[in-house]
Amino acid sequence: MRAVLKNGIGVFHPQGFLDGASSIAILSIEDIEATVSQNAGMVLVSLKKVIFFNRNGLDAFVKMFHKVRAANHATVGFCDYDAKKYEAIIKFYKDDLSFSLFKTQEIATLFSSNYKNQNKNVLLYSDDKSQRAAMAIELHDNGHNPIIAQTQEEFDEKAKAENAYDIIITETYLGQMGQKVATRVTGNAIIYTVSSFLDAEIGNTFNIEYHNNSLNVGFRLFIFDAYKVVSMNVHALNFFSKLSTSAAEYNATICFVGLSFDKTPKEFKEILEDSGIMFFNHMDDILQDKELLKELGASSAANIKNKRALNKVTVTELPNFIDATVATIEMMTNSKAMKESAKVDNIEVKNQENTIASSIGFYGDMDGMVVLIFPQEIAKKACELLIGEETNDKEMILDTLAELVNIVGGKVKTLLADHDVSVDITLPRTYPDVKSLLEIVEGKKGVQVDLSFNDDKFIFFLTR
Amino acid sequence: MITQEKIEDYIDKIPPAPKILKATLTHLGNGDLVKAAAIAKEDKALNNYLKLLVNKPIYGFKNEVSEVSQIFGILGVSRAQQAVYNYMLSLLSPSKWNLFKLNRVLFYNLQADLSMNWKKILEHLGIEDKDKLSAISLLPASIIVSEALFNEKKKDVALLRSVHEIDLNTILKRLCGMDLFDIAQKIAQKWEMPEEIGEIIQAASGVKPSDDADINTLGKWMHLLLFYTLSQPQYIEADLNDFIDFQIEYVQDIYEEFSQLMEIS
Repeated sequence: MRAVLKNGIGVFHPQGFLDGASSIAILSIEDIEATVSQNAGMVLVSLKKVIFFNRNGLDAFVKMFHKVRAANHATVGFCDYDAKKYEAIIKFYKDDLSFSLFKTQEIATLFSSNYKNQNKNVLLYSDDKSQRAAMAIELHDNGHNPIIAQTQEEFDEKAKAENAYDIIITETYLGQMGQKVATRVTGNAIIYTVSSFLDAEIGNTFNIEYHNNSLNVGFRLFIFDAYKVVSMNVHALNFFSKLSTSAAEYNATICFVGLSFDKTPKEFKEILEDSGIMFFNHMDDILQDKELLKELGASSAANIKNKRALNKVTVTELPNFIDATVATIEMMTNSKAMKESAKVDNIEVKNQENTIASSIGFYGDMDGMVVLIFPQEIAKKACELLIGEETNDKEMILDTLAELVNIVGGKVKTLLADHDVSVDITLPRTYPDVKSLLEIVEGKKGVQVDLSFNDDKFIFFLTR
Repeated sequence: MITQEKIEDYIDKIPPAPKILKATLTHLGNGDLVKAAAIAKEDKALNNYLKLLVNKPIYGFKNEVSEVSQIFGILGVSRAQQAVYNYMLSLLSPSKWNLFKLNRVLFYNLQADLSMNWKKILEHLGIEDKDKLSAISLLPASIIVSEALFNEKKKDVALLRSVHEIDLNTILKRLCGMDLFDIAQKIAQKWEMPEEIGEIIQAASGVKPSDDADINTLGKWMHLLLFYTLSQPQYIEADLNDFIDFQIEYVQDIYEEFSQLMEIS
């Protein structure tokens, strides 16, 4: 069984009865390796559809937790259980509870650095004092407003108030939390989380290839969440200065949030500011300020030094890209695609009304970027399969579109692997209109294929 | 991915129940084991299947049984009918499985596991009804139909499920407005199985509770039995554990009784 990966959180959904024999069958060695390589910031096992489990049944997952945390420093644990299951797990692992327990998946997301659901009013209670404190700190760090009940009575009293809290946390336990340079996308900004001491090691833990490809795909705002950074030394200073200089070539901005200069030399701040890095005290100062966010995150193709041409290897693999895209959209919309025309030139979008777009980059043995331009109707139709109902919520459509493009990317990856070409894919980026997309790809040469799905026009564009 | 036409085409291609089987079932319906065995004897494949089935360890017979009359005699009318229905279902199963890692032996084992435990459940519930006993035979139809419809789309399904938690039954329902259990019921109708069998199967999907309290209870037991069975390592390895969604709330009220009956600890 493989984990479903969404917003940087990988979740396993076993079903039925979990004992020693069944859990080993559910989680093969390959599955564990695949989970490690997914590089998720949080890995959870949902017990929602598990009606029975014993200690042996959970052990296979706990072993997987240890491996994933050792490799990726991810937060790991179980979620979606009732009081009875919670007590059972606590009893099984009384002295050895090294993973986390989240009553629901929603609660777990509060503890991941997913800024989509920020600013929640959270009532929390645990009978363990240090757990109460740990949870409150984590929640606060992640931009929520925790209210702690000190006793069960106080909790019962507070919980009675209707609509006072967005979420109530009980029966939750924080094991060792993740410590990785995690990437998370909010809107169109990428957030990296850094913590403790920043030294030469940052050059190893920071995924520079991923970062460069994100720049190439069109991300323009990179935020370092540095609330938990104790201090920074000169090696890290050099690293960030260089990062900022190279980002400037793309007109991209790098920001630090919550970095304190108690133990870091004050002049470091000036050096970093000189290299173009901005500093903010709180994540909200950027994320809640829509104007600023728009200004910093706005796409801009200016100053890109190396406009790269399509090369032979990309063109040779073109049919694979198109097949993967067409097959995915056909699968999601249950319609048939017709290829209308193909040309090598700058992108040309005739009808820009009611159109949304998405892009995904790939890198490895070959690199480039796939851009898909959808009429809103096709995007809506594809959403229906995933969410099960019609929706006009644009944010939700864009979100689902990102999932769809992720599927296209995944498919391309498998197809290329069949040809012994190994690539990785970036996070998908979405554009609410064609204008914001054109700022990225205008002037770039590429292969444009016009397709029609039951009379809806759809554009596929492959560039580097 | 899958269209309404593909489903209709699939249903159209389901062959009618063979004459010999129909006649065997008619005699079993009348409680005439001797006549039923005499007719069943003419179908060599059926003979072979019955022999394989009843000699599985789960049936617990000390000596090998090989004659149809002997087999029917041992099984009795109800279980003989169940066995014939199991055979009919096996006729629909593909010669080579692709979506699920199943084979002929494993599929027969699944039928036998479900059948034996279903008998145990009906005895526990005090139900003596040969049609209700046979209902379990139709349950694996949901697996066969999934294989037939999704086998060419294995990679697509895997990719879809890598980013979104969605089961095959829901995919089908959202794409075509018809789910695996609707198709299973259509098979039952085509084969002129008693109407009740199709209704129990629909309830056993876990997402379509029946208005009839008795059928709904049987649906719950069957849904839970399905997941109890699919939690066995050999079926998990065959990728059957999550082909449909387990509806835990639907079976919550019978779980204690079920776990006692199956001696789960």
